[in-house]
Amino acid sequence: MTLASLAARNLLRNKVRTSLTLLGVAVAVVTFLLLRTVVAAWTGGAEFAAKDRLVTRHKVTFVMPLPKRYIEDIRAMPGVKASTYCNWFGGKDPKHEREFFGQFACDDGYFDVMSEQQVSPEELAAYKADRTGAIIGESLAHVMGWKVGEVVNLETGIYPADTPWTFTIRGTYRATSRNVDKSSFFFHWDYLNQALPEARRDTIGWTISRVDDPARTAEIGVAIDRAFDDKDTQTLSQDEHTFQASFLAGFSAVLHAFDAISLAILLIMTLILGNTIAMGVRERTQEFATMRAIGFMPAHLRWFVVGEAGVLGLFGGALGVAIAFPLIQGMLGRFLEENMGNIFPVFRLPFGATVAALGLAVALGVAAALLPARTAARVKVTDALRKLA
Amino acid sequence: MLIPIRYNLRSLVVRRATTLATALGISLVVWVLASAMMLAEGVRRTLGSAGRADVAIVLRNGSDAELGSTVEEQQVGLVLAMPGVRREGGQPIGAGETVVIIAAEKVGSAGVSNLQLRGITETGEKLRPTVKLQDGRRPTPGADEAMIGSKIRGRFKGIELGQSFDIKKNRPIAIVGVFEDGGSAHESEVWVDGDIVRSSFGRGATVSSVRVKLDALESFDTFKTHVEQDKRLGLLAMRETDYYEKASEGTGKFIRILGTLIAMCFALGAMIGASNTMYASVANRRREIGVLRALGFSRIGILISFLFESVLLALLGGVIGVVAALGTGSLKFSVLNQSTWSEMVFSFQPTPSIILGSLVAAAVVGILGGFLPAVRAARVSPLEALRG
Amino acid sequence: MNKPDDILIRLRGITKTYERGGESLCILESLDLDVPRGSFAALMGPSGSGKSTLLNLIAGLDKPTAGTIDIGGERIDKLSEARLAKFRASSVGFIFQSYNLLPVLTAAENVELPLLLAPVAASERRRRAQTALRVVGLEDRMDHFPRQLSGGQEQRVAIARAIVNDPLLLVADEPTGDLDRKSADEILTLLETLNEKLGKTIIMVTHDPAAAARAGVIHHLDKGRLSVEAHGEVHA
Repeated sequence: MTLASLAARNLLRNKVRTSLTLLGVAVAVVTFLLLRTVVAAWTGGAEFAAKDRLVTRHKVTFVMPLPKRYIEDIRAMPGVKASTYCNWFGGKDPKHEREFFGQFACDDGYFDVMSEQQVSPEELAAYKADRTGAIIGESLAHVMGWKVGEVVNLETGIYPADTPWTFTIRGTYRATSRNVDKSSFFFHWDYLNQALPEARRDTIGWTISRVDDPARTAEIGVAIDRAFDDKDTQTLSQDEHTFQASFLAGFSAVLHAFDAISLAILLIMTLILGNTIAMGVRERTQEFATMRAIGFMPAHLRWFVVGEAGVLGLFGGALGVAIAFPLIQGMLGRFLEENMGNIFPVFRLPFGATVAALGLAVALGVAAALLPARTAARVKVTDALRKLA
Repeated sequence: MLIPIRYNLRSLVVRRATTLATALGISLVVWVLASAMMLAEGVRRTLGSAGRADVAIVLRNGSDAELGSTVEEQQVGLVLAMPGVRREGGQPIGAGETVVIIAAEKVGSAGVSNLQLRGITETGEKLRPTVKLQDGRRPTPGADEAMIGSKIRGRFKGIELGQSFDIKKNRPIAIVGVFEDGGSAHESEVWVDGDIVRSSFGRGATVSSVRVKLDALESFDTFKTHVEQDKRLGLLAMRETDYYEKASEGTGKFIRILGTLIAMCFALGAMIGASNTMYASVANRRREIGVLRALGFSRIGILISFLFESVLLALLGGVIGVVAALGTGSLKFSVLNQSTWSEMVFSFQPTPSIILGSLVAAAVVGILGGFLPAVRAARVSPLEALRG
Repeated sequence: MNKPDDILIRLRGITKTYERGGESLCILESLDLDVPRGSFAALMGPSGSGKSTLLNLIAGLDKPTAGTIDIGGERIDKLSEARLAKFRASSVGFIFQSYNLLPVLTAAENVELPLLLAPVAASERRRRAQTALRVVGLEDRMDHFPRQLSGGQEQRVAIARAIVNDPLLLVADEPTGDLDRKSADEILTLLETLNEKLGKTIIMVTHDPAAAARAGVIHHLDKGRLSVEAHGEVHA
């Protein structure tokens, strides 16, 4: 027998309480991990963004386009390897009013610049050969049930037309990086441009450029913006990371709320652990006094209580991770990635948060035990052993 | 025969540290739940109060929001001439408005967010009689001046009375006034002269939407039929109240569902905590319970007594949680609204039903968490009283 | 086997006062006591006479307000809390009225408990616990938990725990208080054996004259003062 086995024995003494506590900690850990996964999935795009890509858009508002000739100027900039451009189409399928997915009218070099979105050479050739062709994400094809060769009609308020826009799906793209959206719809910019009235032609929403040296991305961005500074439309160039991060800034309150809630979960976990430990200590006053009489030091008892709490936290945390893993990674993650890929392209347990959850479960268990541990260490031996008679 | 409530109260007071820890756990559940519901209500009210039932909005067919809608200038006149539009002195009350969003740096954080910029006309103000000047003055028509909604005041760089922002390079718009509108969505907008917005943003001869005042509430159907009859126009008409109701749907639902989900996870944790506490309470009082049973109290009486104690404990947490949520309610919640793609500031809106609902949720946590321990208490034999 | 002047416990001028609500309460006043090595002393007295306080002082659980306590040549009245704990671990074996066994440990593990504080290998701990249990006649109950034992058996496990680290001194606080007559007799016989065969010095608080009669010497404590009633080998 050792002190550790004595502590373990004490944990098993009240099986109902210990199981409830472990379950409570596990629930807290699962909730915590779920929230962190949502946050990671949401902000993940920004973290995985390519460092050698620049997005250039209208300086004041992203709803206003740039003149098409800007693309030639950008392509001519030193340090820019390749450049492509897109327009936001903002349409929807009248047959699927409620499904939201992004549609982009892009130039044909798009899939060269965005190498994470891969299309097979045959499908790409078929797409390029068809003026009304479209390439869609695998996830979108799954959700909408669209097949290659199918004709799709879309409506949009941005580009009014007497008849719906008609496209033929010529292929699907596969995302090789986990953060890339798998539910977008791409078609030819020329198709859009030619159908527009004279006054609205030859504008592009934004450009995406690949630079030859990732270390100079910011510098090249500044150079691009400076080149257009005296023209009638000014630009704002950001590397992909900043671009996505600035988009998230609008949701910063939601992210803050998630952080606050995560904190509240940790607090609940601390309360559950602290309560269990405190109840255990209170019931064992007599035993602690006996141990003190036998010669155990206050420090022994303190370690005893703290260790018990740490073990409780560790096992509860491990149980939580064991539940969270198949739940989030397996069931929920797969479902969300397949069906809500536009919002959550990657819904995976972040490794850091998983380790943090385990660590926090132990650390908070220990923290919650500090007060009861002090109580245990301060047991007045002579009072506690006084006979009741 | 029921056991006096005083017995439960005393037992909660005696174990006050445990009582408090458990109640705090439950209070966090109630806090999350009540805050989420209050925020969802705030979203509904903010967007809801922006609309008026006697105003109709006309958008391009296929658009949900003003931002994605384009209406050609010559169509505005056609719409204003439709039957059902109110006229004063022979002039229809209605206007085409242009909505764009502009990037604005947030104060106090690194991010850039979007603000909704509305190009208005003088008639536009007649459509919104609730808008009142809070500070400064109204912009002079045709001048590079703006007035801003009171909610975004000071939250973005340059968006404050006396300051200015660039609508284009070297074209600053001076902010000369701050307006309020009873907490509506307009309070998150920047209002500039419509012609200036159109020329600066190259909108040419188009606007985003047309708003008209109806000559009577019932005229909407006539108006709608006429607008949508002409397929060549490709326009749709909505009552302004319905338009904003729809705009609040997404964000409000998102907050409500997320809040409920998180609160449910929390509730599970708190329920476990309450169970634990009540089990300990029963274990410590076996002898006492035995005495009560020996005195003639029934099993059901003991069961009710312990359930009651658990509910009492939970309600204590519920009250703390509601108070905390009301405290959170003094904060403003600023978030990108899904349907407008611009940042809107929402407030937490407490209602009696939210508060009552939160307390009921706490009581349910208490009942569910306390049930098994109460059953165990009821099973204690009167013989326990005699044990040493 | 003992020289009569070999004094194990020497108390001089012991005074113990408690502060209770601003008032000081004098429990023991200028008390002297000698207990020879190898003796079996009983401490009797009415409730509140201070006999438990005196026992706590001798066992190193409490410190006197004034006076000196010398146990086996070591002054324990001025020791720090930590040194006192070490003293208790190495030199004192406790026997309580309500046994105070840890319910989660088996009989053998309860007996092993004090050895955890000494640098003793696990196998050696096990062996010594076995020996101690053999001494109290409970070798066959080693792996039983306290709740599976009778009161008398529990107290015998407690005695085994008290002797396992071969202390200088055994202190027993009402060791038979919770037991029936027969079990009490067995415990007292066991204590006698430990005293006679193993030469353990025992000091026992009791209010049962029958129990006290088994001791070699009885100290009466009344209103903070001691008087001695001896039988057998008389000691002044």
